[in-house]
Amino acid sequence: MDQSSIQGTIFDIQRFSTHDGEGIRTNVFLKGCPLACVWCQNPEGIDPKIEPIWLPDKCIYCKACSDYAPAAISWDGDNLVINYAYQGDWSKIIEKCPTTALRFNAGKMTVLQLITELKKDEVFYKFGGGVTFSGGEPLIQIDFLELALIASKQRGWNTAIETALNVSWSSIERVLPYVDTLFADFKIFDNHEHMKHTFVSNNLIKENIGHLLTSEFKDKVIIRTPLIPIYTATKENISMIAKYISKIYPEVKYELLNYNPLAISKYPFTNLTYCFSDMNPTAYTNEEMLYFQNLALESGIRNLVKI
Amino acid sequence: MDDLIMTQRISKLKEKIHSNVRYASIEQAKIITDTYRANEDKPKIVQRALALKASLNRIEISIDPDELIVGNRTAGIRYGVVFPEGGTTWVDEEFEKLPTRAQDPFEVNQEDIIYFRENIKPYWETKSLEDVIQERYSNEINEISTVVKINQKDHAQGHICPDSKTWLAKGPQGLLEEAESYLENCPEEKKDFYKSVIITMEGAITFIERYADLANKLSNDSTIANTEERKISLIKIAENCQHISRKSPETFHEAVQLLWFLFVILQMESNASSFSPGRIDKFLYPYYKKDIDNGTITKQDALEIVESLWIKFNQIVYMRNSHSAKFFAGFPIGFNIALGGLDEKGNDFLNDISYLCLKAQEHLGMPQPNLSVRLHEKTSDEFIETAIKVVARGSGMPQFFNDKSVIPALREQGIEYVDALDYAIVGCVELTTQGNNLGWSDAAMFNLNKLLELTLTGGVDLLTSKKEKYIYSDQGDLATFSNFAELESAFAKNMDRYIGLMIKACEYVESAHIEILPTAFLSSVINPCLSEGIDVTAGGAKYNLSGIQMIQVANLADSLAAIKLLVFDEKKVSGAEFLEALKSNFQGYEPLRQMILNRVPKYGNDNDYVDNLGTRWAEYFKNRLSLYKNYRGGNYHTGMYTVSAHVPMGEVVGASPDGRFAKEPLADGGMSPMYGRDLEGPTAVLKSVSKLDKNLTSNGGLLNMKFLPKFFENEESIKRFVSFLRAFVELEIPHIQFNVVNRQDLIEAQKDPDRYRSLTIRVAGYTAYFTELATALQDEIIARTSYGEF
Repeated sequence: MDQSSIQGTIFDIQRFSTHDGEGIRTNVFLKGCPLACVWCQNPEGIDPKIEPIWLPDKCIYCKACSDYAPAAISWDGDNLVINYAYQGDWSKIIEKCPTTALRFNAGKMTVLQLITELKKDEVFYKFGGGVTFSGGEPLIQIDFLELALIASKQRGWNTAIETALNVSWSSIERVLPYVDTLFADFKIFDNHEHMKHTFVSNNLIKENIGHLLTSEFKDKVIIRTPLIPIYTATKENISMIAKYISKIYPEVKYELLNYNPLAISKYPFTNLTYCFSDMNPTAYTNEEMLYFQNLALESGIRNLVKI
Repeated sequence: MDDLIMTQRISKLKEKIHSNVRYASIEQAKIITDTYRANEDKPKIVQRALALKASLNRIEISIDPDELIVGNRTAGIRYGVVFPEGGTTWVDEEFEKLPTRAQDPFEVNQEDIIYFRENIKPYWETKSLEDVIQERYSNEINEISTVVKINQKDHAQGHICPDSKTWLAKGPQGLLEEAESYLENCPEEKKDFYKSVIITMEGAITFIERYADLANKLSNDSTIANTEERKISLIKIAENCQHISRKSPETFHEAVQLLWFLFVILQMESNASSFSPGRIDKFLYPYYKKDIDNGTITKQDALEIVESLWIKFNQIVYMRNSHSAKFFAGFPIGFNIALGGLDEKGNDFLNDISYLCLKAQEHLGMPQPNLSVRLHEKTSDEFIETAIKVVARGSGMPQFFNDKSVIPALREQGIEYVDALDYAIVGCVELTTQGNNLGWSDAAMFNLNKLLELTLTGGVDLLTSKKEKYIYSDQGDLATFSNFAELESAFAKNMDRYIGLMIKACEYVESAHIEILPTAFLSSVINPCLSEGIDVTAGGAKYNLSGIQMIQVANLADSLAAIKLLVFDEKKVSGAEFLEALKSNFQGYEPLRQMILNRVPKYGNDNDYVDNLGTRWAEYFKNRLSLYKNYRGGNYHTGMYTVSAHVPMGEVVGASPDGRFAKEPLADGGMSPMYGRDLEGPTAVLKSVSKLDKNLTSNGGLLNMKFLPKFFENEESIKRFVSFLRAFVELEIPHIQFNVVNRQDLIEAQKDPDRYRSLTIRVAGYTAYFTELATALQDEIIARTSYGEF
């Protein structure tokens, strides 16, 4: 395949992103993920398909869409019903919507198009910023990702990726030379629990962590555990993970991410259910964060990453 | 600096500012009127000088026993001063309404109103600036007023940075002697000028001595000097004032005191908006250094003196007419101070005073002074971080200026390199050289969006249905333009005409200032007026610019992009239908309005399609303007800073093609995008703004951004913000400022103003108390986009 025609499926590009790497960054969210964590922060990024979606808050009910394509769009009272079986040109229908309430949940881009977009904030990358590829799982679009990373490095940008590591080691190996920081999630240590809440086994993930932390690139790696109440934020889980990774590489960098209760607001636009639909917990306080951080330190972590 | 504290004395003084009731005062108006009456035979410049001297000799003065720096133009704090030479008609019309008006109210005394109507107003009816301009030129000014607002019609020109360094070196006695020596050998026509300078300096000396006497008296009054601390400081004040009334200051304390007297006297002479001290870290430093080296003061002592000066800056407000108060809401008086920046050799300039000023701002968080920091590539991380930490506390200050943008832009206006390197800021964000410039900022505000409206309708005002006289009627309208180029050429032709008419009106106003408001005292601190014997209003300054504001490029760009894309490029809607939608204020056209809002690129999102339209028209305007010279022989140049005028300037514009409803505010700031339309985040905003060439804002540009406090919560975030500002420098954007506030706090403050009385907010290039702003402006500030929510 001609490299210039390789396209990525991207569901968001966020400028002025101030997490996930140093300085002011642009985050590229690649669509599709082999995991389906029940607390997923970007649930719209799990399914690799590009589909039309409808955002009721933006709709002015002008019916321009259903008037144009009644076979594709119908109404159930005030609810718009999308006929996913419709085989016509969806982009023509979406173009009719004046408010963009009806839109695609992602788009395709070539590497050149993406770099053109990323270049807009190049001046900010000069002063400690860069680009971060996130998802979904960026590594499942490995051909696109590799080219995008190479192009970014050619421009001298700092690069980071965020991965859950449930991909083949050969994919990871391909990007490592072009990545300044690799954020790798290790969510749940117990495999049974892992399968229950993410729907995949963590065997491959553990294996990849082993490879990473013994490779020449081990200092680029930051292992992360998102603190999700009940699911990951338990004494046993944090201690086990911390012991496991520090045993492989005592200088491993480890970060605990505070729970972000805002993710729940994304779920109405998907057909997924959030793990805390009824009683959404709040983020952990500084004291609580300190408790978890101490657990990690007591379990052998020497380089705790804090922001 | 971290261990420095705000003393009890300073907290007490700060508290008193809030507890004081603001009155409109006619005390100086009486003195001025009496003096003019007694000197009818004298030339205007002498009459004015005598009026200033009489005011300095007789105005009631007061000293608060907790003060370290003294002096005010009224005995009460934050009084509004009726100033008859500027204008009495608006005062006459609005006097009773002053206590109840929505913006900037003042209490009044009934007997003052009567005295004013019987004794003051009748004398000035044909003499004040306002009356003369009204009588001679009101037709010409009113005929273009839907598009152009001409300023400085009822008050003296401000926005000036005097030569404080010379003032401190020579003092009133030195300047008096200098004027005397020039007087001996000067040609006849310059004699009145020099005599007038001498008169005002005599007044200044007496004024300062009166404070020495009063402080002396109070120090011996045991009911006032009732603590040892008070007695000591009153004696100190007396000694300081006695010394500086006729000699140059020896100490830091004396220098700051003499500096403050300069600004009080300038206000008493002109009652103008904004005289700015400029780079005080530069010219006060030698006094500070000497005291520190001698061990006569500590940093803490110096900070208390700086903070005392900060308190004084907040004790003078400027009373405007109610119309003007809407444009400049919340008493901006513009004691602008510029910290840091490049020195005369192009190296980074910073010292203890720079840091002490930031510390004072951190402690006090009051609307004045208008604190500015000059940034450049060599500014240290430490200084930027310190400044950001002060910004994070929420007063919107310091604001940041960019040497990399400003210095070349000033050079392009013919300013010498050494002067450009030493630039300071006056008022809000207006750029100036120090001590040699009558910049005549904000001479007029040109409402580009109203002009576009009138071009699209063929000259019919959407709000009043009136036909506008000077819009060419043979160019068609949006329904008949066959392509975008036709629209642009009609717009250009109308713009050319209105610029020509505006220039005439500006000349009328300037000529009236020369005739009615010669300013001898001010001229003595603007070079080279004194050596040349030419008053500053008559062109005596080294630099004589006039600044015209473009209102607002953001909306203009968005509007033009909407028409270009939807009507001409994609043909989604006809010109006739679009025009109908505007005429009906989008009633019945919501899908079209939504299409405009969601489907057309908007300025502020780093999209060339729309950004280039804004740039193109701003440059057209600037180039057209540069064909003219002002009345003093200097350049017209452009600025993009609305102050709070985006609210009233929006009130007169009908529904606009950018999807804005009739009468809604325009974009705030001057370079800022329309609120709620910048969806790509702050870096995209900076990128869009950076496409406006720096030479478009040689009079000043203003970029407002709002961040949530949580963005600044840790060292990591502060570092990120440093890199944001480094990119700002790199992008050659002239100015940026930040409101750091939670939306919820503003909403609460609206509901419960008493609890939030000290909450300060960045309005435009200045900070005001949020609860002192009219509701419409408060609402607009709440609606501005916030960043930092993740």
